[in-house]
Amino acid sequence: MIAVFLCQIGYLGVRGEMRGACPLRSLAEIFVFLSWSLTLFYLLVGPMYRISLLGVFTAPLVALFQGFALIPGNLAANPERVLNTSFWGEIHSSMSVLAYGALALAAVAGVMFMVLDHQLKEHDLKSGLFRNLPPVRELLVSLERLLWLGVGLLTIGLVAGVLMPHETADAWKHVFVALGVWGAYIALMMIKRVRGIAGRWFALGAVGLFVLSLGVFAFV
Amino acid sequence: MELVCLGVNHKTAPVEVRERFAVGTTRLGEASQELLKMADVPEGVVVSTCNRTEFYLAAECATDALKRLESSLAEKVHGHEEPFYRFEKKDAARHLCKVVSGLDSMLLGETEIFGQVKQAYHAAHAAGTTGATLNKLFQKVFSVGKKVRTQTSIQEGSTSIGNVAVELAEKIFGHLKNSEVMVLGAGEMSRLTAQALVSRGAKSIIVANRTHDRAIELAAEMKGRAVRFDDWLDVLKDVDVVISSTGAPHTIIHRKEIESLRRARKFRPLFLIDIAVPRDIEHEVGEIDEVYLYDIDALEQLADQAKARRIKQILECENIIELELLKLLK
Repeated sequence: MIAVFLCQIGYLGVRGEMRGACPLRSLAEIFVFLSWSLTLFYLLVGPMYRISLLGVFTAPLVALFQGFALIPGNLAANPERVLNTSFWGEIHSSMSVLAYGALALAAVAGVMFMVLDHQLKEHDLKSGLFRNLPPVRELLVSLERLLWLGVGLLTIGLVAGVLMPHETADAWKHVFVALGVWGAYIALMMIKRVRGIAGRWFALGAVGLFVLSLGVFAFV
Repeated sequence: MELVCLGVNHKTAPVEVRERFAVGTTRLGEASQELLKMADVPEGVVVSTCNRTEFYLAAECATDALKRLESSLAEKVHGHEEPFYRFEKKDAARHLCKVVSGLDSMLLGETEIFGQVKQAYHAAHAAGTTGATLNKLFQKVFSVGKKVRTQTSIQEGSTSIGNVAVELAEKIFGHLKNSEVMVLGAGEMSRLTAQALVSRGAKSIIVANRTHDRAIELAAEMKGRAVRFDDWLDVLKDVDVVISSTGAPHTIIHRKEIESLRRARKFRPLFLIDIAVPRDIEHEVGEIDEVYLYDIDALEQLADQAKARRIKQILECENIIELELLKLLK
């Protein structure tokens, strides 16, 4: 994963130079940036929360995102240079994608939880996967922390999104969708904090919101 | 020098014979010195655990050394069937490798034996009863023991109900130091299971029993607290693990009771261990999202699966031992 991370940095560096701005101007660049962000949080969070096996679940997602980026036609060999960059626009793009890295990792922790929960419920404890998954409580704590981190970064991205110049109606539509996603995550976190929620639904919420938000942004 | 091993263990001798040969850990060095005198050999180590006492010797002639040792020990086995097993040369080294790897233990693959043999060797070494032959043998055997445990899964999985419960509790809660355990019914099985959880650091134990005095007694033994049996549901709000083993003829924990506590518990995971027959916990309780319910059959099945997995590993362990013995004897 470290090697992947270094390659991603190299790619984003070269691409940033070519663009003369944060390389988030095409779907392919967004997917690579998202993969970099996911790998970054994996490398930071994995050892911190002692989540062994996180890489086994993270690596396929990184491969999938980078696979999307490599679909023919997605990646321009000579990208257009950006002439007018806005400070708030750059902050908005980078923070939002960073946030999605953390939220993607939360979704990964959610999947790990659901696998372990299913195995414990069904008394299916023979697999090596079961032995290597971290405990239920640790997964839930990590999941919640990652969601807070992601929501925090998303908040910065959202504020920057409001402050950046909006030349078209589509730009505002994008901000409103982001606000909706942010609100959904905040609602999930508040339910967990105030009322409480069974781990299965909390994990499902984290996974579902991530998939849903990715889907929404693909069309907006 | 030739290697010799003479021993008694749980397979060859009843406890009333084994106890005559038992040596306390503080006397292991002294016992090794006595062994040298008895067998008239230059090197010797006495290994003694609750299930075995073994004498390892390095002698010029293995057969003569064995005869001398057996005649010295004959008095101790008077009136009983022949309790000894004997191994010479390569067979003695092979046997020690199996002992250290837990292959000869009552509980297949147990790990404690490794430390016990190491302690016996260190005591003998400190008492000056080891030389080139036994030093080389024991050092090699320890590395074989490590190899067997790291390259096979002979020690994986829990083979007793108490340990299966602990393993599951750790899989749900991680470190048990923040986990509260409630014991319903103060029988032997619940005591053993609770003890296993306490030994792994469970934060506190709450005991509820129909006979309150018995609950107080068990709670004192576990350094926990007792509650009246009628009040157990009020306490459940803060509990993470419940071990239930009452003699009730019907279920005592029902879905609706646990459902009523979910909000108060903030939907935290709850691990229910039902080791009672007839069962104490309604089967439907296990359908609640955050509840993990295991009854005696499920726990026994898991323990049996672990035992079967360990048995499957024996051949692999023996192959490692044979390969390492070849290197040792080169």
